[in-house]
Amino acid sequence: MGATMIGERVKRLEDPRLLTGEGGFVDDIKLPGTLHAAFVRSPYGNARVRGIDLSAARAAPGVVDAFSLADGWPDAPPTIPVLAPVDSLKPCPQYLLARDQVRYVGEAVAVIVAESRDLAEDAMELAEVDYAPLPAVASMASAMADGAEVLHDTVPDNIACRWTQGIGDVDKAFDGAAHVIGDTFRMQRYTGVPMEARGTLATQDPVNGELTVWTSGQWPHTQRALTAALLGLEEKSIRVIQPEVGGGFGVKVELYPEDVLIPFAALRVGRPVKWIEDRREHMLTIVHAREMDIDLSVALEADGTIRGMRCRLLSDQGGYFRTLGTVNPSLAITSMPGPYRIENYEGEVVCVLTNKSPSSPYRGAGGPEAVYARERLFDIAAREIGMDPAEFRRKNILPADVMPYDTGLVSVESTVVFDSGDFPAGLQQALDAFDYAGFRAAQARDREQGRLRGLGICVYTQMAAVGPYESAEVRVDGGGKVAVVSGAAPQGQGTGTALAQVVADQLEVPLEQITVTFADTARIPFGVGTYASRNAVMAGSATLVASERVRDKAVAVAAHLLEASEADVEWHEGTARLKGVAEKSHTLAELAQVAGPGGNRPDGMEPGLEARHYFETMDAPFAFGVHIAEVEVEPETGDVDIKRYVAFSDCGRLINPMIVEGQIVGGIAQGVGGALLEELVYDEDGQMLSANLVDYQLPTSLDMPNVEISHHESPSPLNPLGAKGIGEGGAIAGHAVIANAVEDAIAHTGARVRETPLRPPLIWKLMQEGGAAS
Amino acid sequence: MDNERNIEVTVNGRSRSANIPARRRLSEFIRDDLGLTGTHVGCEHGVCGTCTVQLDGETVRSCLMFAVQADGAEITTVEGLADGGALHPIQEAFWQEHGLQCGFCTTGILMTVHEFLSEHKGPSEEDIRHALSGNLCRCTGYQNIVKAVETADRLWER
Repeated sequence: MGATMIGERVKRLEDPRLLTGEGGFVDDIKLPGTLHAAFVRSPYGNARVRGIDLSAARAAPGVVDAFSLADGWPDAPPTIPVLAPVDSLKPCPQYLLARDQVRYVGEAVAVIVAESRDLAEDAMELAEVDYAPLPAVASMASAMADGAEVLHDTVPDNIACRWTQGIGDVDKAFDGAAHVIGDTFRMQRYTGVPMEARGTLATQDPVNGELTVWTSGQWPHTQRALTAALLGLEEKSIRVIQPEVGGGFGVKVELYPEDVLIPFAALRVGRPVKWIEDRREHMLTIVHAREMDIDLSVALEADGTIRGMRCRLLSDQGGYFRTLGTVNPSLAITSMPGPYRIENYEGEVVCVLTNKSPSSPYRGAGGPEAVYARERLFDIAAREIGMDPAEFRRKNILPADVMPYDTGLVSVESTVVFDSGDFPAGLQQALDAFDYAGFRAAQARDREQGRLRGLGICVYTQMAAVGPYESAEVRVDGGGKVAVVSGAAPQGQGTGTALAQVVADQLEVPLEQITVTFADTARIPFGVGTYASRNAVMAGSATLVASERVRDKAVAVAAHLLEASEADVEWHEGTARLKGVAEKSHTLAELAQVAGPGGNRPDGMEPGLEARHYFETMDAPFAFGVHIAEVEVEPETGDVDIKRYVAFSDCGRLINPMIVEGQIVGGIAQGVGGALLEELVYDEDGQMLSANLVDYQLPTSLDMPNVEISHHESPSPLNPLGAKGIGEGGAIAGHAVIANAVEDAIAHTGARVRETPLRPPLIWKLMQEGGAAS
Repeated sequence: MDNERNIEVTVNGRSRSANIPARRRLSEFIRDDLGLTGTHVGCEHGVCGTCTVQLDGETVRSCLMFAVQADGAEITTVEGLADGGALHPIQEAFWQEHGLQCGFCTTGILMTVHEFLSEHKGPSEEDIRHALSGNLCRCTGYQNIVKAVETADRLWER
């Protein structure tokens, strides 16, 4: 115990209630008199809405209310705000319900509220919406073609925004290069798909008028602020509570129309209203991610040294620009040079509108896209100049002595400054763990026997937390129990356990004495939420500082009681004692009682053995990692089997290695899914062909390897824990490393991997075409 | 309007009787009528396995059955696994091995694993992965779930 709690593989405090089915997810909350909502949604990718007639729906059995945008907001309906805009952004926001046009299949048009979900869905069938279908724009290429259908009059070229960022002199770097190697890489549309879809329950207190909203989200305080703004209410009249959440992965960091419409409906009808998304709605309307076409090229010296890099990235934003639409492309172009010494770089972003569900961050948020394009290109470049791909990376990776290293790039979220780490050593550690040289020899022998084994390497950096702050409050009650409250809003990461370890480390009390609660705007006034791998760094640091203050305060109270100076009081296993006099001591419970209002505390001390801290920073730490995977491709079918997977990570100081490893492997599963299986497919009419879990394939237990994990801990100088987030690293590297391994397995046919997912038919086709071309 | 039927079932050893609409699914009956919210619903089309319960000792997807089809059956849900305050050895193994993150799919996986280990002792990793392949988990990457099943096999005296 005590000073050993940080770094311990502690079993999670969250688990017993989850294992026994007592976790309270939003649909598990049952309020008497609850009504249920269903949404009338567009069956068209693009259509004018000429009229909405809800009279038959309103008359249906059990229906209490039905409304369209015009019913709810006859005058000036609000739109969903863009929270991280860029200067060039042309307005193309989304109303809470379609006004006069629908721009993606699934866009909400009207709300039905009824006594049960079944009755609401029955009535939905009776809603009459008069659509005049328009040609759908189902791809970025068709959106940018001459004469393309225009989605928004305000955006005549279907390009919502574009911008360029760079460092150094790229033209000069390319002009004098021995080699210029480039290609276009397509990453498909895929997204988080948590096992719990979204859901919201809202009710208004009939006595004080307070609106309480339970939602399956990731940022309750932001949701409260935005809900208040859109509904014209005061923030203090809304309480947002995020109960247990069944996975989020970034796609629940959004203000969805339903997030506002369900509270609005509850206010209209004066009864609790619940909406639980079904899986089809989820696939159609969750924010989508990843889809980018990336033109990337590098200029090289004859020996493989990178002189410069150029990138043009098209980001498919879907039908509207939503809260965080800029984040994926912004993080992608600023992640592109990554852990390499690239002093001349230019990246251009073009955000394109199409008739698809809007786009927003999903685990990695631009990182997977950038790392996939770069690490693909580096394999290709190495092969073209006759260099080993590991050697190519070794040659160009940033040396340890440049840390901290300012890339000169700035995303919409943070500056890109690598705060600590020894990247070359990490690369070597991963290569050694894999026995890279041994593999290459075996690969050549196996290929002669017709076995197609391939190895992929992926080296990456990730923004490992983001500001501006996170909150934590630590309070000791008269029984000596410690309650931690944070504005973080986890969805299964085990943050409660990690924060309890931080507190236990400071106060030297058993974990069982500590409870941690999150994500309730009534319990802590400010909070940011859980995304961007930020919990350990931001909530962890806030908790560390708050618990240090509580301990200091406890020592001050003890010194007062013992009539000693604070310097003569030491903290030992949850008690304060006079140095060298063990019997002169006070327990945490005693000190909390004395510290309370009316107690015998030192003059001038605020009552309460408690402290609240906001850890504020705009400087993001960056984590580093190297993944190496081996696959075998079945020559007859193109089926991929992942044989081995090695993941090296440097995410600073580990609070709970077991939790960190769980995050890494879970992230890798999502990268593997993206590389091999998952795709949100739209046809040319803008209809989604993968709106269920049969056609949208998530990885199963048969698709995943056992990951071999190793770490190096380079503490971050940017926070008192020395921590760096790692929640996204697996998803960032996993996609690229599998794409690289597959190409390596079939490269002898001349095949080149430029798109994913690498399902067997695509691999088979690549092998045939590669063979024909070579 | 709704065509109601009476059903009698035994749930976690306790007999229950209810009048329910014919179209009520077993998952809804368990969650909404019986208040046993440990059975979660992930896809409502029988793919993800989250809503798995045992019907007369065999796993079923409760989102794919009408409650009336369960009339007369013995149903076990996740709430029936632990013995009072003591976790079932399978639950204990999942806790030890960090076999869950958000916990949403977990309750269905526990029911699948319970059936599998009831019928298998000392299964190979390949057997375990096949047994789990009908339950989707989006958080863990399955590695620790497989380990948890191996540990549960050792812990559970049966």
